[in-house]
Amino acid sequence: MHGKFDDLGRFADPSLLILTSLADGPKHGYAIMADVAAFSGVSMEPGTLYGALSRLERRGWVRPLAAAERRRPYEITAAGQEILTEQVTTMQQIVQVARLRTAMAWGA
Amino acid sequence: MRTGQAGRLSRALVGCHPRRWRERYRKEMLDVLDQHQASARTVLNLAVSVLSTHVDPAYHTEALSLPRLRRAALISAVIAAPLALILGPIGYGIWQDDHWHPAADEGLVSAAFSAHAAILVTAFGVTLDGMDMVWDVTDLSRPRRLSQFEGGQPTTLSPDGRIVATVDFSHPVLWNVANPRHPARIATLPADAGGLRGQEFSPDGQILATAYYDQVLLWDVTSPARPRLLRTLDAPATSPPGSAGLLFSPQDIAFSPDGSILASATGTDQVTLWNVADPARAYRIADIDDPGAFAQGFAFSPSGNLLSVLYSGGTVLVYSLADPARPARTATVTGLLVRAKFPDGQSQPDEVLCATCIWTGEAVAFSPDGHTLTVIVNRTEMSASSGRDTIFDWPVTGSGTLGTATVTARDAADSQPFIAPSDRTVLGSPSKYHWRTWPLP
Repeated sequence: MHGKFDDLGRFADPSLLILTSLADGPKHGYAIMADVAAFSGVSMEPGTLYGALSRLERRGWVRPLAAAERRRPYEITAAGQEILTEQVTTMQQIVQVARLRTAMAWGA
Repeated sequence: MRTGQAGRLSRALVGCHPRRWRERYRKEMLDVLDQHQASARTVLNLAVSVLSTHVDPAYHTEALSLPRLRRAALISAVIAAPLALILGPIGYGIWQDDHWHPAADEGLVSAAFSAHAAILVTAFGVTLDGMDMVWDVTDLSRPRRLSQFEGGQPTTLSPDGRIVATVDFSHPVLWNVANPRHPARIATLPADAGGLRGQEFSPDGQILATAYYDQVLLWDVTSPARPRLLRTLDAPATSPPGSAGLLFSPQDIAFSPDGSILASATGTDQVTLWNVADPARAYRIADIDDPGAFAQGFAFSPSGNLLSVLYSGGTVLVYSLADPARPARTATVTGLLVRAKFPDGQSQPDEVLCATCIWTGEAVAFSPDGHTLTVIVNRTEMSASSGRDTIFDWPVTGSGTLGTATVTARDAADSQPFIAPSDRTVLGSPSKYHWRTWPLP
């Protein structure tokens, strides 16, 4: 099972952060950047943000909403929620294996 | 770069994106820039965005505007040149750090052969994410290295030599090595907390069997980029996880030569035979009795009527599969661990006698004519960085009984030996990133 996230290339990590940010409701560009910085400490630049957003939009994982003046909010789609859940499950598996392995290696 | 300059340059760069991009995102990006404190990083980031959107086919439908491209290239070059001077050496340092690998000083740990193609994939080092190398072994004594990649331990190559399955942090991963100079990762299969025990392609290359702690999965890999799960075979563990001596062994799962039977090692010591003639309806046909040790390797005889199982305590059992549902043990050999001596001549596996002596690896195989069963045990004296392979050869009768063993030994390095299929050649590793071959007697 090839992870669909792998196809995003250098935008895989920003995409995960953006989907996570949108998981609790629609946000516009700068609000996403501020939210991502707050919950992950990752300082995302505008070029990266819109590069990732455009790819997420093309895949149907986020959807643009009506713009209010220059600000356009984005919301996560059902497909985006599904891919986010899948990715989080994979990460949980990695964490679980890492915990098991480190516990076995160090006798913790 | 001052904030004001960075802000102005950033805004100019937003205008350098392709027309369709600007129509869609320009206003939003300018709004973000109004709120964002632009820096040299912002400028560089937007310059990369400009270049990547210009080569992105999705924004490429307009006629290329040369003046615009020229302006974007000029701005990018003016920004990139001084940054490259600073970031280049830093980036090179980071790249070197990234590509340093703990396996760099260690010996051969894994080798995957192809049944019909002159390709070999090896890994060095004991880490799970080992450094893999692809070799042209048209002449096994004079291998040519074609490429290398960081993909985990290679465990099995498809018979046509086009796909290699590796273990990367417990995940089975498929790599396309059809072009062996440019391996490409094509699929990742699920990991299991109990660990992956082994994986093997069927003789026709259409099925990949992956063995986990308490189950075996059969995957249809006729389209290797989209493996399809055909069957989950449960092998409930009879003892709790964590008590296994070794989590992974390269020979823990094997198909019979005609592909109809699969032998797997799961749990801590369970050996099971499965009927996989119809993989989607595969079923358990027999459990092999347990000598109380961890199964380390399987070898089917070329005709498929015999199965040899090598256990970690130095025990070899041979079974006749005349009736696969009732495997009949035809030979039992124990004590190989004691008979295989360390380089200094000591024979006891007792750590009191030699605290730095370890049992590095072992291999089991039938000869291509099926008349000889070979087991190689490597014992290593770590402080002297020397090792010794002891080779046990037994004549095998058609019914599966073993004659008297011929025992030979040769100095070797501290490495896992591998016996090349369809050949009487052994691979070992004398030093880092090197392996050598030697012929079996």
